[in-house]
Amino acid sequence: MKTVAKRQVMSLTVNGDIYEVLVSPRQTLLDVIRGPVGLRGTKEGCATGTCGVCTINNEQGEAFLSCLTPALEWAGKSVTTVEGLEADGELAPIQQAFVEFGAVQCGFCTPGVIMSAQGLLNTFHKPSEDDINDGMAGVLCRCTGHIKVKDAIRDVVKKRP
Amino acid sequence: MHLPAHEFVKPATLAEGLSLLQSAAGEIKPIAGGTDVIYNMRGRLFQPDVLLSVRELPELQGVRPAVGGGMRLGVGTRLTDLERSPELADYPMLVRALRCVASRHVRNMATLGGNLCLDTRCWYTNQTAEWRQAKGPCLKNGVDVCHAIQSSPVCVALNASDIAPALIAHGARVTLACAGGERELLLADFYTDDGVVHTVRRADELMVAVTLPPPPADAVFVKETARKGNDFSYGVIAAAGEVTGEVVTGLSLVMGSLTTRPVSLVEPVRLITAQGLTDTAIAAAAAATREELGALTNLYTPAAYKSILARALVTQALQGLRGAAA
Repeated sequence: MKTVAKRQVMSLTVNGDIYEVLVSPRQTLLDVIRGPVGLRGTKEGCATGTCGVCTINNEQGEAFLSCLTPALEWAGKSVTTVEGLEADGELAPIQQAFVEFGAVQCGFCTPGVIMSAQGLLNTFHKPSEDDINDGMAGVLCRCTGHIKVKDAIRDVVKKRP
Repeated sequence: MHLPAHEFVKPATLAEGLSLLQSAAGEIKPIAGGTDVIYNMRGRLFQPDVLLSVRELPELQGVRPAVGGGMRLGVGTRLTDLERSPELADYPMLVRALRCVASRHVRNMATLGGNLCLDTRCWYTNQTAEWRQAKGPCLKNGVDVCHAIQSSPVCVALNASDIAPALIAHGARVTLACAGGERELLLADFYTDDGVVHTVRRADELMVAVTLPPPPADAVFVKETARKGNDFSYGVIAAAGEVTGEVVTGLSLVMGSLTTRPVSLVEPVRLITAQGLTDTAIAAAAAATREELGALTNLYTPAAYKSILARALVTQALQGLRGAAA
């Protein structure tokens, strides 16, 4: 039997905007976000679940991997990508902290690192050092290392009431 | 790279899902978190005709007290939710095993059932489709050749689940459902010694629940891996029992990630039960371990390293148990 991948129209909310997209079962959520939705902040790295560069946030604000999620699984649901963090030209606290602490070098992994950090900050109001390590272990930066990333996260936590 | 062509179906209820499994034309594969299934599809190790999404089936969610003591875990529950579940507070060894799986990102997606049904892997299957094509097919593609151990008549790919050994050490049972009804078996009996057909789940069955007996008095879990918080294990061990001084009763020692199925050790358990947790008995138990593991392969580490690692893990787990009681 030769399977034909039937395309389906599905609705996907990205950063509060509703998109009606024609999706093949062959596409992952990452393919749809970068393709028909047209938001290129989210990157594809290893495509095996190791590097975390494709990280976005689910409806509960938790970090997950868009490269390992079938697009049709997310029909009718919503996600937040790195483009959804700033509001009215104001950077989100975590983005501002990344700028201030220089937690960026080549920048390729940065959207995934920021969305992992945001996922952590959404889950815990005051994450402990263990929580930070646990939340950030699944995303890899190959140039700056993780010291300044963790400094930036600690700064956001420190400034929270 | 796009996934192989397939049809994606998402039933609303368990009954609907089981009926789809029964009536499927061609190969149908259940998918939950997708962290293993999509990985394997991208590598062309899985090319099912239909993907059956079970991650949101209401019947597969949550943890609740089991009839007659213990806990019943719905296998559609995410690993993150299990880790933080107050119902599992009395099972710290299991929670530790859950926390050892991959990364937070993966655990926010992956489910208990998906982890227990993880496909087996070896250094050959871990290569790209193009690499494997150049090398030629193996037992997993219906050819009578194993690249990992060339003289092997069966597939020796490894079971990589961290949670299975922990659950087996607790004496967990698993419930499989099909359109005709349910059956329950020990999780230890769920796995086989053949890496191709590595569980006894039939194609028309779906794993629905894991039942845990009341928690053991003392338990230890040790995982050895390249990078904590990201990688598959080099080897794991789960130990459970009741320790009083150096005397242990009801001991179970289960090793994972070293062989095609999680291995429940026999002779080391007999030695410790007979002699207690003395340094001499622990050394003897560690020395008796290699014999029970069968052929070891070179996935992630050389086989010779795994042999040494197995002794070290048994030693650490038993010393850990002794420490837990002190």
